[in-house]
Amino acid sequence: MKTTILEKEGNLVAVFEGRLDTAAAPETEQALQPLNDCTGHDIVLDCTNLEYISSSGLRLFLAVLKNAKPKGSHVYITGISDSLRSVFAMTGFTNLFEFK
Amino acid sequence: MEYEFLGFSLYAWVTMVTVLSIFFVMARTRIPAEVAFLGALTVLLVTGVVTEEEGMAGFGSEPVVIHAAFFVIIGGLIQSGVLYWLTKNVLGDPKNYRFAVFRLMLPTSILAAFLNSVNVVALFIDAVKIWSRKLNIAPSKLLLPLSYAATLGGMCTLLGNSSNLVVAGLYMSETGKSMNLFEPLLPGLVITVIGVIMVVLLQKYIPSRAPAEQSFETTSDYTVELLVPTDNPAVGSSVSEAGLYRVKGGSLVEIVRFDREIIMPVPQDEWILGGDRLIYAGQINEILELKRTHGLAAADHHVWSINDIDTKRKMRTAYVTFGSELIGKSMTESDFEQKNDVVLVAVARQGSRVAGQPREIRLQAGDSLLLECPPKDDEKLEHDNRRSLTFFDSHFVPQISAKTVTSAIILVLMFLLSSFHFLPLMATTMLAAGAMMVFGCCRWNNVSKYIEWELLLILGSTVVFSTAISKTGIADIIAHDVLDLCGNNPYVVMTVMCLLASFVSEFVSDVGSSAVFFPIMYKQALLMDCNPMPFIMALMLSVTISFASPIGSSCHMLIYGPGSFKFTDFARLGIWMHIVLLIVALTIVNLIYPLYL
Repeated sequence: MKTTILEKEGNLVAVFEGRLDTAAAPETEQALQPLNDCTGHDIVLDCTNLEYISSSGLRLFLAVLKNAKPKGSHVYITGISDSLRSVFAMTGFTNLFEFK
Repeated sequence: MEYEFLGFSLYAWVTMVTVLSIFFVMARTRIPAEVAFLGALTVLLVTGVVTEEEGMAGFGSEPVVIHAAFFVIIGGLIQSGVLYWLTKNVLGDPKNYRFAVFRLMLPTSILAAFLNSVNVVALFIDAVKIWSRKLNIAPSKLLLPLSYAATLGGMCTLLGNSSNLVVAGLYMSETGKSMNLFEPLLPGLVITVIGVIMVVLLQKYIPSRAPAEQSFETTSDYTVELLVPTDNPAVGSSVSEAGLYRVKGGSLVEIVRFDREIIMPVPQDEWILGGDRLIYAGQINEILELKRTHGLAAADHHVWSINDIDTKRKMRTAYVTFGSELIGKSMTESDFEQKNDVVLVAVARQGSRVAGQPREIRLQAGDSLLLECPPKDDEKLEHDNRRSLTFFDSHFVPQISAKTVTSAIILVLMFLLSSFHFLPLMATTMLAAGAMMVFGCCRWNNVSKYIEWELLLILGSTVVFSTAISKTGIADIIAHDVLDLCGNNPYVVMTVMCLLASFVSEFVSDVGSSAVFFPIMYKQALLMDCNPMPFIMALMLSVTISFASPIGSSCHMLIYGPGSFKFTDFARLGIWMHIVLLIVALTIVNLIYPLYL
């Protein structure tokens, strides 16, 4: 699992590669730390190369959202595959996030 | 037939190994009894121990046919409301426990003689539970006396216990003489009276077990599992924000995510995701309110929208019966929930909480289950699962009508006809079964529903074992050996054999034990030039008094779950009953029947 944070067109972009399962969650949580300081930026979670997401992975996404919202930042999710989309749909995350 | 080992032929060895394997299978595995018995019958047929004709003869034998006809008669009595009327009117309004035990045992033992002990116990379980609530005592304190009364009363007629019919059937095939319906009346009556007195006197040995259904209502420590539907407004908030952390009557102890990740203990700020299973500990009724107030669901599969939840579904409680196919499996490992459109919400075991997710708990006999069930088709659910579960609220209240009287008359006529020997028992039961249908007491299309085919298959097979035991010379050899050991003293022989038969019956079943011991004891009587009758009657009585385990007595098995009994509870009183009644049986049989004709 690899997580890269980029700054692109004024947005903070987190690019995920691999499987975000329970084992990978702590390391990913660390990697997402820079997103805490997002004032003035929108956040994009790029899932194009994300193969799988577990419930602990979803928790991290939710944490990003919970942190960003009070600061007036939007959180967008891009590039999710059909299998990921079904996980987002089932857990009710499609109603919480904005998708690009 | 030339090969012999220790005096037994090859066929005899095949028979003995087969019969002993059944005992093992019954005691140690969960293979259904009828499958074990039919399997054994197949072995005997394939190895040529019995011919095809002998192998199939069991299914047309007297005990099987009478039982089949009797199931139809009972079906008629149930549908026309006779049995319902009896349960309503037979029990009075007792003032204290001692009187209640007596008041319960007297009528039920009489009824058991005519309606078969198992039917009577099944019939009175609910009524007795209502009684126990009125008297404010544990149902176990009355259910055990009920089981004793029915089994004891059942000893008085051939129809009273299945094993009586098996012995009578084997007697007829050996001698060609049919036994009178009331042949065991006198010894049965004496044993019943002594047995009832013993239960009343030894009531301190009857355990008091908290009723399982009450434990769901009153105990504060149960585990309930509820699902968060996708569109639940709580998704994305923390459990405490959503008001789902500390709830009225309980608290959240565990969250199981959609990918089976378990959060335990649950921090107050843990977020809720759609598809989460929230596991609560506490008072069931209050926790179940969360379904209404917070849009949670009891479900075996994912629920997308709160609107998909059928609010008319209802909670029902049921026991896991002995030999249930659910034993040893959890709900997630079986297709029970999908097949029956039910969801397991909580499990109680002997009145206390079982830790963990209810749907992951491996079930045991006697467990009480709280199930969310479809709003309709209660009876179908009960019927489809009658071998796995007994529902607390088993209802089906028939109307009292002219048919009630008709079917009662049919029953009385059946007893009169057969007791005065106008017709043999087999003919009268078939006639009565026919009459029940002709007069509309039992609906044609419902007939097969009331027949317990499994029991008929077991009975049919046991008759064949008996044939094999005689035919292969096992009966001869064991009969001779026991005679040699006991010095040809008929009293000693009878005592030893009855002791063995009743012991085997404790671990297998009264029916199986009687079929195995009948040919041996009959042979012994002939070898000693004795009247076979005392031997046969002693066998008939002694296989029934195996009260020390729930396996030995079909009636005990029925009350096991409803009374929240432990396996060993039956032994406390049962061992004393077994010993004393065996002595009484042997004495009384020898007083009534002359040893030499």
